[in-house]
Amino acid sequence: MTETRPQVALAVRNLNFYYGQNHALHDISIDFPARKVTAMIGPSGCGKSTLLRIFNRMYDLYPGQRATGEVLFDGRNILETGLDLNILRARIGMVFQKPTPFPMSIYDNIAFGVRLHERLNKADMDARVQDVLTRVALWNEVRDRLNAPAAGLSGGQQQRLCIARSIATRPEVLLLDEPTSALDPISTARIEELLDELKEEFTIAIVTHNMQQAARCADQVAFFYMGRLIEVDTADRIFTNPRQQQTQDYITGRFG
Amino acid sequence: MADRSHIVKSYEQELGQLRSMMSQMGGIVENQVALALSAIADRNEEAADAAARQDPDVDGLERDVESLAIRLLALRSPMASDLREIVAALKITGDLERIGDYASSIARRSLRIRGSDGQISLSGLRSMGRLVQDNLRRSIDAITQQDSNRAMEVWHADRAVDEYYTALFRELVTYMMEDPRNIRACTELLFIAKNLERIGDHATNIAERVFYAVTGDNLPAVRPRGGPTSIDTTAEPDDR
Repeated sequence: MTETRPQVALAVRNLNFYYGQNHALHDISIDFPARKVTAMIGPSGCGKSTLLRIFNRMYDLYPGQRATGEVLFDGRNILETGLDLNILRARIGMVFQKPTPFPMSIYDNIAFGVRLHERLNKADMDARVQDVLTRVALWNEVRDRLNAPAAGLSGGQQQRLCIARSIATRPEVLLLDEPTSALDPISTARIEELLDELKEEFTIAIVTHNMQQAARCADQVAFFYMGRLIEVDTADRIFTNPRQQQTQDYITGRFG
Repeated sequence: MADRSHIVKSYEQELGQLRSMMSQMGGIVENQVALALSAIADRNEEAADAAARQDPDVDGLERDVESLAIRLLALRSPMASDLREIVAALKITGDLERIGDYASSIARRSLRIRGSDGQISLSGLRSMGRLVQDNLRRSIDAITQQDSNRAMEVWHADRAVDEYYTALFRELVTYMMEDPRNIRACTELLFIAKNLERIGDHATNIAERVFYAVTGDNLPAVRPRGGPTSIDTTAEPDDR
């Protein structure tokens, strides 16, 4: 075999997380292979969203929340103090369950984040906006109203705009927390198609309650239960023949 | 296989229904084979008729299993062991239907070997029949009990069926060379032996599919086979 081992974008080692006294994640170790989609599944409260929020240090915003262990990104432990969080968050982008467009124009929704990190002239900025909107298949729908408020877009369009906004700063990792749970099936299919294209460039971690979505989109699937990582394997293996009984029970709908 | 039940009760009921149709179909087919063998061994015309009469029931069940399996796939999006069980049922039902057809074919042919009594020994065919019947019973038990060990037994036993077939083939060819008047009866017997061998193969298919459904692993692609033979027994004339 000449194939080289897939490069690892994020390596989680013995990660523990606490919401005050509540021990939310127990000794998690998992690799996120570069330019692959990793889906995290599990019942509500199992810790999958918590893990996602650790990757861009969102928990720093809240006192009493702390993490121990390591999350290695580009050779560095992102849990360290003294890390520039603005740079981290530009390199690890996040998209939420509900579309969260800024209360500004479609154009500025994208340009806003870019301006924080790069100094682009008007022509370059225009080109960047057009590029990312094209990639999320939104350009043709909004090209004539770039200065209209983003709030006027449909839910599916808003979510695609949020993904465009996340990739405009050219991150390496894209985190998605239930990105399609509020969308209709057509918008969902568009986003899934988009993920398939984006993974050529980005490492994607997606939290989803939709098992079929995980099966369709993911290369790797991780099953979490009560703050523990029960099993991680290829999507194929997890959905046809998981090794752990708990995984089997959850995905077949036998969880009592 | 998990004995815990689904949160959604109607899903659980549908899976139960699928299992019961499978065992019903297995039961009928097993009975058809038994009747066909008795038609040969005991020169029992009634048994021959009875075997053929059950074909429509088997065909009907095959269609029912197929439509239920398709509905389950479409409406329940089954995963893991459920998915494997449903897909296996879809394929097993086809194997069972074929076995039923072979049994009918054997029954019909048994009516045409009259008049050759005494000259040709049927003991080899009887033994082969018993072995195939035994394998079939075990593979059907494997379905109903979701028993991968039983499936494994069948898988290993198919080699003996092949060996019987090769031996019978030689024996029948010898009869035909000795006396051309034997040719008609021997040709029928040759077809019957071939049909039995095919039933054995389908029983092995079933065993493989049960093994996959239960364990999630495949048995090796290459089956244990009967020994090499100087006579090419693979050439099979069209069987109808």
